[in-house]
Amino acid sequence: MSARSTPYRGKAGQWAFVGHRVSGFLVFLFLLLHIVDVSLLRWPETYDQVHRLYGNVLLRLFEVGLLFALLFHSFNGVRIVAVDFFPDAVRNQRRLLHVVVALTLLAGIPGGIVILWPFIEGRLL
Amino acid sequence: MSATSTDTRPPRRSRQPSAEARSWAFMRLSGLALLFFALVHFAITHVINDVVETDYDFVAERWHNPAWRVFDWMLLVLALSHGANGLRWIVDDYVRDPGRRKAVKGLLYGLTGVLVVVGTLTILAFPSRPR
Repeated sequence: MSARSTPYRGKAGQWAFVGHRVSGFLVFLFLLLHIVDVSLLRWPETYDQVHRLYGNVLLRLFEVGLLFALLFHSFNGVRIVAVDFFPDAVRNQRRLLHVVVALTLLAGIPGGIVILWPFIEGRLL
Repeated sequence: MSATSTDTRPPRRSRQPSAEARSWAFMRLSGLALLFFALVHFAITHVINDVVETDYDFVAERWHNPAWRVFDWMLLVLALSHGANGLRWIVDDYVRDPGRRKAVKGLLYGLTGVLVVVGTLTILAFPSRPR
């Protein structure tokens, strides 16, 4: 497929679409993993052992990624609902996308710092 | 789907939305509900409490209150159905071969069904008294 075959090239709405799809897919994959790890509650010691892994710095970085995916998907979802129902939102959809990105960063950066705080204090595991 | 010239059925009444229209509405409604459930859940388990603190005893204390079990079950069912429906759209977009599409969707629905059962049992079978 050549780049010319699509009339829809890299405008804000397309990036929003790609971001929504990728973030939703990532959150869904995490959900699958999360339901399985929580099911280990049946065996308390095993659950606690496996659960401790989430305090590892690599998994903390992964949790920060999850937070950003979740926030973007949430705020962009609100934008989609707004665009579906309010004509004024359609006219301002580009600006709305900027608000979505701004809100994602505004909530994601402090949230990410809180999640990484033990690592910032020097704890790796 | 548009009616063809050979289609003699009466036009679909607006009272009976199509499956895709229902799916569209479901994504908006479940999405707005998840905005509350998922963000509150994430805030409690990753921001207000550190993830390391949410061990077995934390869950036991929380699930001592049935309202939190209902909350978590709502999140489970809403997130899985919203996610599975989103993935169904992705499969429709990228898996073009009808046989493969059917197989991938079968796998998706099977996996989702199993996870609904596993998650529900996890919440229901959890003892009401701490160990």
